[in-house]
Amino acid sequence: MSEQKQLLIIDDDPDFAEGIKSILVKAKYKVDMAHNPKDGWAALEKNKYDLLLLDVMMGRGAEGIMIARKLGKDAKFRELPVLIITSIREQMAFLFPGGAVHPNFVDVDELIEKPVEPKLLLDKVSALIKSSEAKKKK
Amino acid sequence: MTKKTFAYFPGCSLEKMAESYHLSTVEIARVMGMELKELEDWNCCGATAYFHVDELLAHTLCARNLAMAEKEGLDLVAPCSGCYKNMHACNAHLKKDHDLADHINFALEEDNLRYDGKIKVHHLIEVFSEDLKEVKAKATNPLTGLKVAPYYGCQILRPRKFEHENVEEPRYFEDLMTAIGATPVDFLLRLRCCGAALIITNRQAALSMVRNLLQNALDSGADVIATACPLCQVNLECYQDQVNAEFGTKYSVPVFYFTQLMGLSMGIPAKRLGIGTEFLSPPAAMLAACRKAAAV
Amino acid sequence: MATTVTFSQEIGNLLHAAGGTPVSACMQCGTCSGTCPVGDFMDVRPQRLIRMIDAGFKDKVMATRAFWYCASCYQCTVRCPRGIDIAELMYGLKRYTIWKNQYPEDLIGPAFSETFVKNIVRTGRSYEPVLATSYFFTLGLKEMLSEAQNATMLMLKGRLPVLPARIKRLENFKRMIKRIIPIGD
Ligand code: SF4
Ligand code: SF4
Ligand code: SF4
Ligand code: SF4
Repeated sequence: MSEQKQLLIIDDDPDFAEGIKSILVKAKYKVDMAHNPKDGWAALEKNKYDLLLLDVMMGRGAEGIMIARKLGKDAKFRELPVLIITSIREQMAFLFPGGAVHPNFVDVDELIEKPVEPKLLLDKVSALIKSSEAKKKK
Repeated sequence: MTKKTFAYFPGCSLEKMAESYHLSTVEIARVMGMELKELEDWNCCGATAYFHVDELLAHTLCARNLAMAEKEGLDLVAPCSGCYKNMHACNAHLKKDHDLADHINFALEEDNLRYDGKIKVHHLIEVFSEDLKEVKAKATNPLTGLKVAPYYGCQILRPRKFEHENVEEPRYFEDLMTAIGATPVDFLLRLRCCGAALIITNRQAALSMVRNLLQNALDSGADVIATACPLCQVNLECYQDQVNAEFGTKYSVPVFYFTQLMGLSMGIPAKRLGIGTEFLSPPAAMLAACRKAAAV
Repeated sequence: MATTVTFSQEIGNLLHAAGGTPVSACMQCGTCSGTCPVGDFMDVRPQRLIRMIDAGFKDKVMATRAFWYCASCYQCTVRCPRGIDIAELMYGLKRYTIWKNQYPEDLIGPAFSETFVKNIVRTGRSYEPVLATSYFFTLGLKEMLSEAQNATMLMLKGRLPVLPARIKRLENFKRMIKRIIPIGD
């Protein structure tokens, strides 16, 4: 097996982030957490990650989308795979009906909705890392 | 003197509910030699207290208006304190936070707009009180003997604490009233919030806030309250019946826009200033000025 | 589940862009409560609310009505000797409880925001009569009558619009909003 993969979670809900982290740690990933977009970006700048798990509603509104867009615009980050974990539909349901829209800002990303099933989470994480590595090799 | 031109953002309230504010604004701007170009296809700025529930959305709404004014190359003027506060604050945020500006501009692309932070946002009362000499010169029908309680309210001043603006002891409203020949009274609660944002969500609180303001205006000897915001005006004037019903009081305090008072002092006929659409009729000293204006 | 993040830090994260001092800097001087015009009507006044946040009483804070009664007048913010932006905090808490669906059910505030926002998103402008009438049912009979009386009075004086105003480039406008709130049809 290759070396241990390093992941970052940016999510404002400490309990939820902690829950996801423990699932991932059990599966032998190395996991960092940030609880607001500012700290999250700082972590991205500082360390090298194999995957980002990103929440949508944080701080002032859908700031997760801001981050995804910023990553997509930056050559340094464009290839970082992103798993967007959102409950935006639930959170904003009172504003709009309809499902969450997949923003597609970076090369490899996916969207899953909270609450997240552990098995599904692990499948998606490893699939995303694999497909991004495959892309890089090309 | 070069003519001052501004992009004018009337705001939803001025469309109908506060039409008299709009009419009187247009009239006095003309006399003052100021051009107010209504912003084309403006949208609501989302000023109510609840819109901040999504700040990014609130910024987007304001930024669309700012971008359209910038396209015209004009600073923006808002007569509604709520709109003013929102757009002023949005402007400050966008100028300071590049990530935010970039993201909001991404949304504005959908309407072929872009904002680069080149304009300023003013409240209507600011642009008139900047030139008191000119106001005085134009006030040929001074409102002598009219005792006015100048009501600033809250959003017009706060929260701009860090912009070396005097948010606790402003005088410009008083000075403006003096310039048109009226007598500003010492209105202790002039900066106190009227609770307009709560009228539906917490009626008890809002009505009691209105009562306090009315009582304080009377105690200070005012004939009339002058406002610079449609929300303040409606809240203070139109809810007096409800206040009276709730507290067993008998308030009947007229509430007018500062622009209506300025217009009268400039000899503009009452009707053109929207005087006559209020719930509570003007006090004697104003009626006298109305008669004189009609005679001109 | 136990986490290392305190509630006061959680609030700090929520307000990461606001630029005020963290609530932990509060010295409990009481200026905010004393200056708040709505204080008498709040279940918990600002000073105590901040203390509760600092003490980590998350559930209690989230269930509080105080921030829904805040009139956003910024009096507290301007006067706080420690530079805590209390008014922004109140906004933040409104937002946070909506996201987490944790506000008391009988509150009018959240429903009011909903109508207002929906209205603007639909038309680009706010339409007062729609707003007012959709609130009649939340008021008691006495208030309802007086609200109706006010609307009639405004109507008679020609001060209520008859049709909702719409902006012209509405389709662009709606797409613009979708870039900020990524939700489909
Ligand atoms: S805040 Fe009020 S007055 Fe200003 S634009 Fe919006 S609805 Fe209109
Ligand atoms: S005084 Fe009242 S209406 Fe005026 S800005 Fe403040 S809350 Fe709004
Ligand atoms: S005014 Fe500021 S320091 Fe004083 S109690 Fe309120 S928040 Fe704390
Ligand atoms: S902003 Fe809210 S909490 Fe602060 S003084 Fe005004 S009403 Fe009270």
